[in-house]
Amino acid sequence: MGDSQYSFSLTTFSPSGKLVQIEHALQAVGSGQTSLGIKAANGVVVATEKKLPSILVDETSVQKIQLMTPNIGVVYSGMGPDSRVLVRKSRKQAQQYFRLYKEPIPITQLVRETAAVMQEFTQSGGVRPFGVSLLIAGYDDNGPQLYQVDPSGSYFSWKASAMGKNVSNAKTFLEKRYTEDMELEDAIHTAILTLKEGFEGQISGKNIEIGIIGADRKFRVLSSSEIDDYLAEVE
Amino acid sequence: MSRGTGAGYDRHITIFSPEGRLYQVEYAFKAVKAAGVTSIGVRGKDSVCVVTQKKVPDKLLDQTSVTHLFPITKYLGLLATGMTADARSLVSQARNEAAEFRFKWGYEMPVDVLSKWIADKAQVYTQHAYMRPLGVASMVLGIDEEKGPQLFKCDPAGHFFGHKATSAGLKEQEAINFLEKKMKNDAAFSYDETVQTAISALQSVLQEDFKATEIEVGVVAEKDPVFRVLSTEEIDEHLTAISERD
Repeated sequence: MGDSQYSFSLTTFSPSGKLVQIEHALQAVGSGQTSLGIKAANGVVVATEKKLPSILVDETSVQKIQLMTPNIGVVYSGMGPDSRVLVRKSRKQAQQYFRLYKEPIPITQLVRETAAVMQEFTQSGGVRPFGVSLLIAGYDDNGPQLYQVDPSGSYFSWKASAMGKNVSNAKTFLEKRYTEDMELEDAIHTAILTLKEGFEGQISGKNIEIGIIGADRKFRVLSSSEIDDYLAEVE
Repeated sequence: MSRGTGAGYDRHITIFSPEGRLYQVEYAFKAVKAAGVTSIGVRGKDSVCVVTQKKVPDKLLDQTSVTHLFPITKYLGLLATGMTADARSLVSQARNEAAEFRFKWGYEMPVDVLSKWIADKAQVYTQHAYMRPLGVASMVLGIDEEKGPQLFKCDPAGHFFGHKATSAGLKEQEAINFLEKKMKNDAAFSYDETVQTAISALQSVLQEDFKATEIEVGVVAEKDPVFRVLSTEEIDEHLTAISERD
């Protein structure tokens, strides 16, 4: 990876022992649009703001929440183009696993491999770290799971998490509202309320995106009319 | 080298600045504006039209060789705003990619797939130090078999969106403001309305009336899904229609 002229790492230690490029990458994530995920007892929900630069943009051409496999979805905060690279690599890795073992890849494995890619870009020559944090949500034999992966390549499993601009308010809100025995429907309502907290302007099915996965193990992104229905319930 | 935090290279190659920004990418956006040209794209009910200024700086130049409008395949067009040389490089690669796609998969490359490919390439340049981002904003247009007329814009950062109308270049923001007003009520323009909206938007934003030789116009329409560059006569017809309308 990288040209031979750049076979030295651009991410190097500062005298205080910090990797400043990673810190800057986290800044880029922190200025991205808010996104969050909640793990319920019978499923996982992820949600994100979808603020587009102009009303002239065709919002049906943009989908921030993507599938990695039929039972694993991902949402990001930070630089959209960087997230596309990770989604593409992860999809390939998931498919390679399936080809070898004839079994869908467990979520922990996919998360580990995605994180490894992100770590590579903090150490390889001639590249910069990814400017995204990912929330990976899925349902496999170990039940519903939610993982957050950061630009450094470190990942943790979360019961509920948020990233992006409004992260501290969102996390406080989630801490108050989260219960272990939450059902998926409650989680969807909570996710919407959390997004609504920091939302500038009028929230609607056109400027947020929600993805859910239940015991059926099929990750899907809700349509804007379904989101509008949930918004009406939450009012 | 002790310019505050960071190694000081954050302005020279695409690594993060302390605020989490990529200065090289931001400078690439400025390079798009520095070309001094504004482009506009409008998507109608069954057609797409793109318009750009044709600035020929020297009378001795062969006007026909000055162009920013490139057919990628028979059905896909690309309007490149910004640095011409970067544009030609991108167009050359896009043509290759579209031809390979047609050969490999047996059907024509759709608009959004080509746009994604261009945007993904742009993203690579923002992450790898050995290549600078291209100073080009591309508008890709075509008729999609399933979704109808499509207009996509790709920028040096690697973003790409579908648009109902958009603009790139020097007066990008003014043009977008103008177009937002025009398209506010989800207008579904006919072919003529689409072309005339695009041209009149450019005229309004640059505050000058054009001659047919001073602009380039490219269209795709559902009834004839081939990418076409309008001739000066056709452009003249539209210009006349616009001035009579006003």
